[in-house]
Amino acid sequence: MSDKNISSPTRGNTSCHAADRHRSHWVERFLDGWSVYRKNTIGRIGLTLLGLFALMALVSFIPQWVSPIYHPMTGVDPLISHSTGPSMRHWLGTDYIGRDIFSQLLAGARIAFMVGISSALISILFGTSIGMVAGYAGRRTDLVLMRLADMIMVMPTLLVVLILSALFGQLNIWVIVLVIALFRWPGVARVIRSQTLSLRHRPFIEAARVSGASHLRIIFRHILPNVMPLALLYMTFRVTSAIIIEAALAFLGFGDPGTVSWGMMLQWVWKTGHMFQAPYWLLPPGICISLITMAFYMTGRAMDDVLDPRLRKEETQA
Amino acid sequence: MGLKRFIIRRLVEIAVIFFVIMTLLFVLFRLAPGDPVSRMVDPSMTPEDARLLMASMGLDQPVWTQYLYYLKNAATGNLGVSFHYGEPVTHILMNRLPNTILLFTTSIIISALLGVFLGKIAAWKRGERTDTLMTIGALFCHTLFLPWLALIMIWFFAYWVGWFPITGMVSPEVWIDPDAGFMVKALDVLHHMALPLMTLVLIHFGSYLLVMRSSMLETLKDDYIITARAKGLDEKTIRDHHAAPNAALPVVTSVGLSLAFSINGGALTETVFTWPGLGRELVFSVSHADYPLAQASFLLIAIVVLLANLVVDVLYAYLDPRIRY
Repeated sequence: MSDKNISSPTRGNTSCHAADRHRSHWVERFLDGWSVYRKNTIGRIGLTLLGLFALMALVSFIPQWVSPIYHPMTGVDPLISHSTGPSMRHWLGTDYIGRDIFSQLLAGARIAFMVGISSALISILFGTSIGMVAGYAGRRTDLVLMRLADMIMVMPTLLVVLILSALFGQLNIWVIVLVIALFRWPGVARVIRSQTLSLRHRPFIEAARVSGASHLRIIFRHILPNVMPLALLYMTFRVTSAIIIEAALAFLGFGDPGTVSWGMMLQWVWKTGHMFQAPYWLLPPGICISLITMAFYMTGRAMDDVLDPRLRKEETQA
Repeated sequence: MGLKRFIIRRLVEIAVIFFVIMTLLFVLFRLAPGDPVSRMVDPSMTPEDARLLMASMGLDQPVWTQYLYYLKNAATGNLGVSFHYGEPVTHILMNRLPNTILLFTTSIIISALLGVFLGKIAAWKRGERTDTLMTIGALFCHTLFLPWLALIMIWFFAYWVGWFPITGMVSPEVWIDPDAGFMVKALDVLHHMALPLMTLVLIHFGSYLLVMRSSMLETLKDDYIITARAKGLDEKTIRDHHAAPNAALPVVTSVGLSLAFSINGGALTETVFTWPGLGRELVFSVSHADYPLAQASFLLIAIVVLLANLVVDVLYAYLDPRIRY
């Protein structure tokens, strides 16, 4: 971890971009990483899948616009009063009160992205700031923050959210997002902290300090850009865990009753006793949750290869 | 005796963490909307009865006194009476604890061993088709949505093929039968445990495989492996006796780090398979607004996770002679 190549604008095949000097450092770095990422099969599969899911989320508004009977939550087909299999009218069949499963599946993609990305953003924000402060400040601040992180790390997040919903009743989807985020930052904070520790005594930080930059300026102007790629990498993993926790919570019957998520759909199949009779209903939501998790995970692993040149070398040797 | 001191230090730490968790729970239960009595009191009770009930539970005392009582009661194992069962929660949970530990430890041990075994082979055959298949398979299994996998397992193995019972931990007819010996009963439990165990192992072995694979690849570059080769040892000896034991250490660390994740999975598995464990009791108590039971199961699960962490640390020290605390 310590010898990770974090800020090296001159890495790899920069020579081909050298001609256009007006291109900013960030664009350069991005294109640089992208050229490596593109060669990674796992990364390509992950991004393709993510693209498909994003498309699903985008078109999720169409069915209810075509006809109100396709509304994922309130649309009930007047001709159908029980779960039916796939047909031309309902591509994936209907659930126990005649709602269209296909449009529910599309709406689920929207919820998954919403939950995953917003929760990951918040926990990355927390994790990165706490990690940087702990690593930079050191001593007692570091000790206290890391002990706190350890303590939260051993708490099973799903069960914590369960306890909260026992006490406060049905939780709103944004509360769920926030709670997941608040319990998922320690892993990020640890990684960012060790990265910050390795940066702290680099000459450019010392130089900034000598020239009179404040601590805040050093942290946000000089350390942050260097830990950013790592934070982004961890974001993909946090998206995964947030989606899984929300789905599991909904599956157990403690999700936001106002949303149609994939976990919710599974809960309906399970609780209404359709799991043996209605594979057309049981299979799609589970496949979607598993695939979107896999897609984010694969994207993350591929990004890891981009960020860690050692790994990349090993992969090409193979 | 470094190890002994290490264990004592960790136990003190665990006690502190546990104390913090208990305090947080106490605060949360006070913050919850509605006072504790209104959640417990039957609408049919007279105000006089309600007041008596309050007094009997010490709820007319100031919060600080209540907090001290709460700590004292928790320390003496008195965590209240379940609303639903009408029994002391400690009694109920002590019945559930062995079931959870049985499923939890067996699944972790099997998936770690399987992960180490397959990861070793994948690293050894690096770049070949076996490696690719194993890596993709591990990624795939690891990202499956657990409750859904559990439902699919029940659907396929219990409903369609009919090899295993659909839910539960024991078949009543076997346990009522006075002639049934220990072996019969043990086999019955095993028969019920097969599906939840398979589900948990399928979900967990993948990440261990990936950890083992990358750690093994690192180890294979080490000098002592080259030395072993130079000595003319056969490949199998090098793989199994020289490289694998050292490469397996990070797997132990990763088991420790994923304990919280495993207990989440355990709770989901127990719920779907109606395995009478702590996790299922927590889910059940939450959906039935059984506050004493919910609180106590959460505390007990926290203890299990904390102690399991300690066990993993000690195991690590035992396996790696370089580490001395």
